[in-house]
Amino acid sequence: MPEERHDPSPTGNPSVLARRNWWQTILVELIGTHTPKCREMVRILSQSMDKPMSLTMRIKKRLHFLICRWCQRYEEQLRYIHETARQFPEHADDASSAPLPQDAKDRIKQKLADQIR
Amino acid sequence: MDSSLADTVELQHDYNFTMSTPDVHAAATRWVDDHGECLYRYALVRVRKAEVAEDLVQETFLAAVRGYEKFGSRSSERSWLVGILKNKVVDHFRKLGRETSFTDMEFLSDEFSEKFVPVGFWDHDKGPHEWKPEPDEVMHRAEFWQVMRDCLSKLPQKIRDVFTMREMDDVPSKEICAMLSITDSNLWVMLHRARMALRECLEMNWFDQTAGGRA
Repeated sequence: MPEERHDPSPTGNPSVLARRNWWQTILVELIGTHTPKCREMVRILSQSMDKPMSLTMRIKKRLHFLICRWCQRYEEQLRYIHETARQFPEHADDASSAPLPQDAKDRIKQKLADQIR
Repeated sequence: MDSSLADTVELQHDYNFTMSTPDVHAAATRWVDDHGECLYRYALVRVRKAEVAEDLVQETFLAAVRGYEKFGSRSSERSWLVGILKNKVVDHFRKLGRETSFTDMEFLSDEFSEKFVPVGFWDHDKGPHEWKPEPDEVMHRAEFWQVMRDCLSKLPQKIRDVFTMREMDDVPSKEICAMLSITDSNLWVMLHRARMALRECLEMNWFDQTAGGRA
């Protein structure tokens, strides 16, 4: 096979399988043909945050990750965003400096006092 | 929570109960001082109007006093109050949902198409970078939460509302669809767009920066 066919990827492709030699090239093309393209895969990964993936799709995802570290990162990062977003509300005082006006505080305290009385 | 305080509280089980302990008053006043800012700032991120945010915070504290007996030591005072606020925010959106049209789907155009080569694979130079999160440390860094807030504020309003409702307030997908009269697929597309944009923004403004020397 022509040499360029083996390594059209930029150097430093972080995926497990890249076109580093003839057999990797065959595997990359096989997996690339039979699993969703990245544009579709990121949509599926997002959807799987709300709805479990089918077994077939989970297998395809695993195979796809072998040739695409970027989609694998994407999934890891979606999970990270999910975890941190959940914790955002309790850290909202760190997230901005908009102060609760003193008169609003006083009014709320007064309302609370009225209710407790 | 101070257990001796809980012991002294006596609540009637009807709605218009009265509590006659000065301890509850002291506790409620302290909540406003300790957690008022946090609740207000979260409410403000969600509803964007100061007066609405103030009202939601007030309703939260009033509900907290009413539901004081339900608060055990299962969670921290902060997360208990934030939990009440989340429900108030969702109620607010529920009311608003009837007035807001979510049929405008112009934001569904794919802004991120330049990240992929025409055949549909990532353009390798534009694919996700490696993130090196330091969970415990980053969680407590105020700058991280500021970046997240800035990134949220850059999202188009409708997808931000949907994303925050799903991921921050933990409202089930079905309920969001019902509340906003949208289909499952509308919701998934909106969430996908929100996640994609948020991921990109966090990468540019936090993870690429921390790798460059802050870490």
